[in-house]
Amino acid sequence: MALTTDRIIQNLQAISGYDGVVDPDTCLFSSGMLDSIAMISLIAFVEQEAGIEIRADEVTLENFDTPARITRFAGERV
Amino acid sequence: MSIAVRTVSDLFAHNLPERAAKSFLVDPGRSWTYAEVAAEVDRVAAFLAADGIEPGDRVVVQVRKGMREVAAMLAVSRIGGVFVNVNTVWTGEQLHYVIDDSGARAAILEGGAAAALPQGHALVVLVASGPSVTGLQSWDGLPEVSLQSPVSCDDGDLAAIIYTSGSTGRPKGVMLTHANIVSGARSVTAYLELRGDDRLLSVLPYSFDYGFNQLTTMMLVGGTVVHQPVTMATEIVRAIREHAVTGFAAVPPLWIQFIRLLDASGEALPSLRLVTNSGGKIPLNILERMPALLPDTRIYLMYGLTEAFRSTYLPPEKFAAKMGAIGRAVPENEVYVIREGIGIAGPGEQGELVHCGAFVSQGYWNRPDATAEKIRPCPELAALIGEEPVVYSGDIVRIDEDGDLWFVSRRDALIKSSGFRISPDEVEDIVHRSGMAADVVVFGVADDLLGQSVQVAATLAPGATREGLLAYCRKVMPAYMVPRAIHVWNEPMPRTASGKLARPEVVRLSTPTADRPQLSI
Repeated sequence: MALTTDRIIQNLQAISGYDGVVDPDTCLFSSGMLDSIAMISLIAFVEQEAGIEIRADEVTLENFDTPARITRFAGERV
Repeated sequence: MSIAVRTVSDLFAHNLPERAAKSFLVDPGRSWTYAEVAAEVDRVAAFLAADGIEPGDRVVVQVRKGMREVAAMLAVSRIGGVFVNVNTVWTGEQLHYVIDDSGARAAILEGGAAAALPQGHALVVLVASGPSVTGLQSWDGLPEVSLQSPVSCDDGDLAAIIYTSGSTGRPKGVMLTHANIVSGARSVTAYLELRGDDRLLSVLPYSFDYGFNQLTTMMLVGGTVVHQPVTMATEIVRAIREHAVTGFAAVPPLWIQFIRLLDASGEALPSLRLVTNSGGKIPLNILERMPALLPDTRIYLMYGLTEAFRSTYLPPEKFAAKMGAIGRAVPENEVYVIREGIGIAGPGEQGELVHCGAFVSQGYWNRPDATAEKIRPCPELAALIGEEPVVYSGDIVRIDEDGDLWFVSRRDALIKSSGFRISPDEVEDIVHRSGMAADVVVFGVADDLLGQSVQVAATLAPGATREGLLAYCRKVMPAYMVPRAIHVWNEPMPRTASGKLARPEVVRLSTPTADRPQLSI
């Protein structure tokens, strides 16, 4: 199954417990919304959904700060 | 030190005579001297006092990591209040629960959270930043003032309440006095050998006692705290280099990412004198890489629980020999290992870790029953300390031949199978080391033959299979430890609001029932 922005948003609450409104451009990390524990789960979720392995140096604000950026990053890696 | 430091306010104010112009806080984009922060503290303290906030009143602080979060807490202390810092990753619902439960009279919040407060609340509110909210005071609009007389308080007075979210039930507020916090800062400063020229990177929230200690220790020695609001390893490494950070505290999930990143990039961090871990065990495969990747850095493994504030640490010179141990009591602290109904455990034995002395908190806010259960006299220690109450950690530890402690398991989580007592943490460690699993929860279920059987719930790494993981377990585990079932999760495991795995929920959904029979393996 291809990873979509919608699927990330749908799963964010299960991943992080965050219960606020999230859109494709919501800043997840630079806003302080998600912490390191949530990040590990999010990375695992993206790896599993997109069938890719993510290197530690790829986890940057550029690639992971918003749902839309995550989808773009995963799309380029597949 | 010209002023005797007895309270949280003293911790900060003793720096002002001599270090007013020294850099105290570094935020992304700008830094703040001790004097500049003092001016902000006074503005907020004057606002709270003018609105009738009095000594002993609780003030909730939920502000993004930065100067204003620190100034907000110090302002509450300045007027003799009790600050209740709430993690910014907590939800609105949790925030409202803490406001109600603590009986807060005021709250210092980001604009979004302030706008979402329930209708008809009676709180004094200060909006720290973000969108302005009609009818509420904004920080930017506070006048410049100088408070004439600080409110003096006793070191036995309450200074802070830290809410801890357990895996079950509502969060409980742990009450800390000024004496708890100041003696904790002295102890940590002593064993970490912190100095005035240290620059600690603060990634962990101040709502967490371990993160808060970075701030109190730097205030004690007149050092500098560099705020890093983004908990991403790539950003953390960049900040350490940019600000010549000398010390860094993290928790296991962050260490895993940090060490993997250093491993991949080969980047050196020469400014880093010390690093600390608390809040859980770092997986062994990550621990093993740390000395090579941080060759000039002292590595401290620590253990603590909020109810006893600070607990134990493993001195860095023992790291190589005792990787994974939690060491022994930090300075000024006393811990014992108790065998219930038998006495004090000795080398080679295990039992429950209990704490007594200066760090013992005042228990849970408004929860006398929960307090009496957690903090009470210990019959096994009566001959030594009499009726002095101790904190029962609920953690089972083993004492090695040198007297150093090793974490074994939560007391209520031990699995008893075919006469063996099995630590779920140990099984989880081994499963993690296979490299085949991401999230892992190990638990016991009733079994007619074994008493209990070992069960593993796991999300698998890409390419891994249940059969492969089981084969690995059979190869490396003693027979009694090998899981009887591996429950593979194809979706993310549920988490608590603070992001930890919701273990009871994972166990419930993974436990075989009549209509959901055990998966055969």
